[in-house]
Amino acid sequence: MLLATVVLGGVLFTLGAVGFVTRRNLIIIFLCTEMMFQGIILNLVAFGRYPLGGRVLFDGEVFALFLIAVAAAEAALALALVVLLYRYRGSLDANAYTQLKDE
Amino acid sequence: MPTLLLTVLAAGALGLFLAMPGGRTLGARLGAVALALAGVAVLTALGRHLGTGPWSWYLGFAAVMLFAAVRVITHGKPVYSALYFVLLIVSGAGLVILMGVEFLAYALVIVYAGAILVTYLFVIMLAQQAFPAAYDTHARQPFWGCVAGFFLIALLATRLLLPGVAAEAAVTGAPAGELDNFTVVGTRLLTEYVIGIQVVGVLLLAAMVGAIAIARRERPAADAGRAGARFGATDADQGAGEEDD
Repeated sequence: MLLATVVLGGVLFTLGAVGFVTRRNLIIIFLCTEMMFQGIILNLVAFGRYPLGGRVLFDGEVFALFLIAVAAAEAALALALVVLLYRYRGSLDANAYTQLKDE
Repeated sequence: MPTLLLTVLAAGALGLFLAMPGGRTLGARLGAVALALAGVAVLTALGRHLGTGPWSWYLGFAAVMLFAAVRVITHGKPVYSALYFVLLIVSGAGLVILMGVEFLAYALVIVYAGAILVTYLFVIMLAQQAFPAAYDTHARQPFWGCVAGFFLIALLATRLLLPGVAAEAAVTGAPAGELDNFTVVGTRLLTEYVIGIQVVGVLLLAAMVGAIAIARRERPAADAGRAGARFGATDADQGAGEEDD
């Protein structure tokens, strides 16, 4: 049960990473970051519920609760930045923001 | 054993590449079939590992999670991606209920699906064009993205599913006695992690102030180029009024 959940969390993290590098919409890129968070939450819950030694104290669940709060703060700031960028440039395309590129 | 696992993962990666948005309609259907076959192979192996009984619910939730995750990253419309993400979170909440952490399931549905994803939906609808934009219908180098993803999950899965690791992780920890999950988590949050709660409160306050400061509407007139033309005379008027002083 531990292994199955950890592998499932790894698959979710990988899918989030593939979506992060592949999609061009800024909001969907941040949404894939949140999917990586989901994989990490599954990992934390699995290792908290089935510890490799000792009593079950739901440590992983407490960690996951703090992670949800941090994800909320990060989502608020990311979406504020996306709103500002959209108001400035009018496009959500990640390829449209290239002013910091070398060439 | 690693050969079969790598074949299933490669089929999944190939199916994901074919299903990416980018104008491959026949490939999209082939990709969906390849992904479904890989997912069925994974879940069948998992089912043989778990046996029948209450853990069949685990398989159902895992299948829905994988399907929703694939649809999040391969759907062409952002609103559908966000809605499939809500499905992912709800099935994830069901999955963690099976593992005995009910408080986290409620927190996931209320905070993640109910607050964070609704905020995402609002911003998607604010920043949406009338027609499907080019940056939604075409992925950015999907082949190398899927190759990188295949390497990542192949490394993780083969290392996790080696025979020695499986024997070590076969423990099933005993639940925490007579107390239910809410009592244990609430007690620990308010006794051991009380400083963490205060810090998270300050963090959320800072994030709220930062978000309002970043996205507020009074910008100087120098920004009123295309944005000023799009949003009418409001920003330009405010900018001209401020510059007169």
